[in-house]
Amino acid sequence: MAKFITRRLAHAVLVIIAATFLIYLGLFVLGDPFASSGEKTVPPEIQEALREKFGMNQPFFMQYLTYLQNMFTFDFGIDFEQRRDVGEMLAAAVPATARLAVIAILIEIVIGLTAGIVAAVSQYTFRDVFITIITTLGIGIPVFVIGIGLRAGLSGEWVFPAVPRSFTVETPWWQEIILPAFTLAILDAAFIARLMRGSMLEVLRADYVRTARAKGLSERKVIGKHAFRNSVIPVVTYTGVSLGVLLGGALITETIFEYQGLGFLLVRAIQQHNNPVIVPIVVFAVLTFVVLSTLVDILYAYLDPRIRLH
Amino acid sequence: MARTETTGSTTDFDLDGAPAAPLLEIDDLRVHFKTDHGVVKAVDGVSWHVDEGETLAIVGESGSGKSVSAMSILGLVPTPPATFPSGDIRLRGRSILKMPEKQQRKLRGKEIAMIFQDPLTALNPVFKVGDQIAEMIRTHQDVTKTVARRRVLDLLGEVGIPNPGVRINQYPHEFSGGMRQRAMIAMALANDPKVLLADEPTTALDVTIQAQIMLLLEKLRQERNTAIVLITHDLGLVASHADRINVMYAGRIVEAGSCDDVFYRPQHAYTFGLLSSLARMDKKRQSRLLPIKGVPPSLSKVPPGCPFHPRCHFATEGCVEVVPTLETVVRSEAMNGDGLHRAACIHSDQVEIAFSERLAP
Amino acid sequence: MTTPPQSGHEPDTHVPAEVLMTAFESPDPDADAVPSGQNKAKASGQLRDIWRRYKRNKLAVVGLVVVVFLMFLAILQPWITPYDPMEQNLLNTENPPSADHWFGTDSLGRDMFSAIIYGVRLAMIVGWSVMFLSLVVGLALGAIAGYRGGAIDSLIMRVTDIVLAFPALIGAILVVQIFGNGVWQVIIALAILSWPTAARLMRGSTLSLRESEYVEAARSIGASDTRIVTKHILPNAIAPTLIYSFSHIGVAVVAMASLAFLGIGIPADKPEWGRMIADAVPSLNVEGQAHMWVFPSLAIVVTTLAFAFVADGLRDSIDPKLR
Repeated sequence: MAKFITRRLAHAVLVIIAATFLIYLGLFVLGDPFASSGEKTVPPEIQEALREKFGMNQPFFMQYLTYLQNMFTFDFGIDFEQRRDVGEMLAAAVPATARLAVIAILIEIVIGLTAGIVAAVSQYTFRDVFITIITTLGIGIPVFVIGIGLRAGLSGEWVFPAVPRSFTVETPWWQEIILPAFTLAILDAAFIARLMRGSMLEVLRADYVRTARAKGLSERKVIGKHAFRNSVIPVVTYTGVSLGVLLGGALITETIFEYQGLGFLLVRAIQQHNNPVIVPIVVFAVLTFVVLSTLVDILYAYLDPRIRLH
Repeated sequence: MARTETTGSTTDFDLDGAPAAPLLEIDDLRVHFKTDHGVVKAVDGVSWHVDEGETLAIVGESGSGKSVSAMSILGLVPTPPATFPSGDIRLRGRSILKMPEKQQRKLRGKEIAMIFQDPLTALNPVFKVGDQIAEMIRTHQDVTKTVARRRVLDLLGEVGIPNPGVRINQYPHEFSGGMRQRAMIAMALANDPKVLLADEPTTALDVTIQAQIMLLLEKLRQERNTAIVLITHDLGLVASHADRINVMYAGRIVEAGSCDDVFYRPQHAYTFGLLSSLARMDKKRQSRLLPIKGVPPSLSKVPPGCPFHPRCHFATEGCVEVVPTLETVVRSEAMNGDGLHRAACIHSDQVEIAFSERLAP
Repeated sequence: MTTPPQSGHEPDTHVPAEVLMTAFESPDPDADAVPSGQNKAKASGQLRDIWRRYKRNKLAVVGLVVVVFLMFLAILQPWITPYDPMEQNLLNTENPPSADHWFGTDSLGRDMFSAIIYGVRLAMIVGWSVMFLSLVVGLALGAIAGYRGGAIDSLIMRVTDIVLAFPALIGAILVVQIFGNGVWQVIIALAILSWPTAARLMRGSTLSLRESEYVEAARSIGASDTRIVTKHILPNAIAPTLIYSFSHIGVAVVAMASLAFLGIGIPADKPEWGRMIADAVPSLNVEGQAHMWVFPSLAIVVTTLAFAFVADGLRDSIDPKLR
């Protein structure tokens, strides 16, 4: 097990190094990130300061090292747009995004698992068909359509704050988070429900479930213990990876609801070619994604003893 | 029924209540499955019984209905798609099929236990072997974890698993095939059941391990007086371990009798075919092996008349016209006519003669 | 040994006694070999089987009809659209649906109906191109990795690891940032992000087939590697990858629309569903202007659902085991 974890971590580190190099290559080398582009003008003194900061006068390899050093010491420089410290912008956005991600994941686990198990144990009944239709819609409708629909229908009503946000009214965080969290959760909940249904149906055909029944266990124990423990493994994997994606910023949802997280920042930065903001967010997103995927692999080995040994 | 109905307490199932009735009895059982391709008659009018300390073998090719009949005893056949158009399963005279689900559950693993073909897939991969056996005990007996654990250790020792103290904490995939089947047997024996259903218990194992497992079952039967229903396609296994044999084909019993009767005086063309395709160690000169041509019929489209006739060496037009019923074999001489040898074949005389010619040196 | 097909033994027909007498003879050694001339017949029989299973799934049939209809719209778009989808009319903006403009007009006075039909063409071009590119690259690299193994396998797999380390949307944005906006840039970006999964699926099935007995048999009679891969492995290993790539058409369409919704990828002058929805955002809460986001939303939902149904149907009918 220790060997497996070490190997997996080493692999993750290599992937992160390669990915950050690609980001660097893409955003810094192919095209001058500090030049004025389109209608954007970057004041010469800022261009100069940034070139200095990222060591653009030095040899290629040194430049790369400087970039890495800046990334991992949280020294991101200042943004083109408002000339604010990028580190401070991120420090405000990361917790907001994390809160949104965790709440969305909790919603989707509860809804998805329940729906999946109910559908599987009542296969071919009306309940199963109903859940299958709902999940098909949930997976088939793109996030931005769901988000726009929820915003058009609900924002400004009942407890949901109006979008565009009013800067004079202070909204409690939970009111602000409900609609984006549900928007994010719908797709994944539908996906988890499907995954759970499929994996539960497969497990229900397994010999060990028959053994559990032959032991005289109640159906509740057969499903809730023997079948659940085996069928939940792929769901854990999916949820972990999905959390990894969400922690990097929910670009579309945050944009629709003007939720001040990483995704919102990133989209605005991209539209303004604001490289000092784009780079750290993308690096952060890749980092959390890889770390979460690695953790999921390790968790997977823990959940399935057959993997643990090898 | 003479006994008053149960009053709802736990194990009020008195197995010694009606000594006249056989321990486990299957009576004209039919198990049909409704599928897209029509009704599959997996079991179509099967009767047998088994008593304490006895080993009954049910022999047949895959798809002959032998496993389905055993699984219906434990209520493991899902309904739907399965239906039970007729028949009954009785434990000491009490109908299991008519019992409410909750009461049936109390019998499963307690009075009737089952071991399966592939012990790797039959054990849950994510739980420790010891915990899975302990769960069997604690489902039916009100004992503490510590007590259950001690019993698991005893059971593991009893079925010949070395190092029970270590093994109890291991997962199924850490066991070898033979050890896994021993663990399955330990689990099945945990509540000292009256009947043990063994569904192809050695098919997935190496030949040397097969013998060990069969010896273990034999030993447990003698020590505990358990009734064993041995379901298999392996005639060799049956020859040395069963008291009586039921040969099944296409959901029906085609021949039933003692080991000697079935092995040395087969009356059904299918049994003849099975025995002629088997290499025999008990004869000096091996006669030529004769395979049975073709495959068993699809159970949704069983041939008219005798279901075996399309593959049969002895078939005549008469075989297509009537479905032969299981008739007691009448012996001209006074050899072993115990009245238990029955066969469903209109050419049983020819079969017996043909077989004795094969047997002759 | 394969199980003979059920139709091989007709139980109802009466078998003459002479035939029955030979029933116990040793089996014909060639009984299981498929005569070479029957290979074609077998393949078309397989297709017929797939179609028979496919037809049973009603949703998949509906999906197929919609997909064919969308293809038809995409090809015939220049002759179908009543207006030039890009023609602006600033005197007639944000009008609700009417007899002249069935789906209303957008913020620049363009005809929404024409724009949405044009969006179909765009979606089909991007969806199918991404599928085709990622399928070809994925099949080739996956088969090489799985069949060759060793260093080339490690190399290809590490590359897929790195690509898959990017969350899909962010990865696509990054590629578009590098190559700039444009239809082909979007296609390349989405293909770059989707080939690794196709390659991994293909590698997986190649690996399992490489050790199979019939491939060993082909090797033992001296078949070349190319022949083994193209004749023996590819036809049997292709199903999961094919199904993935097909199901990815809908994903690619959504990805394109998501990018456009964020103002990335497809240029602003091309009517694209995601961008149309984004354009509708400022007037979301304005009474009577729901047509600006409802129609493009419906278009995208219908498209993705249709492709999802077809993909599900294909999966169930090509390889029931994958279900």
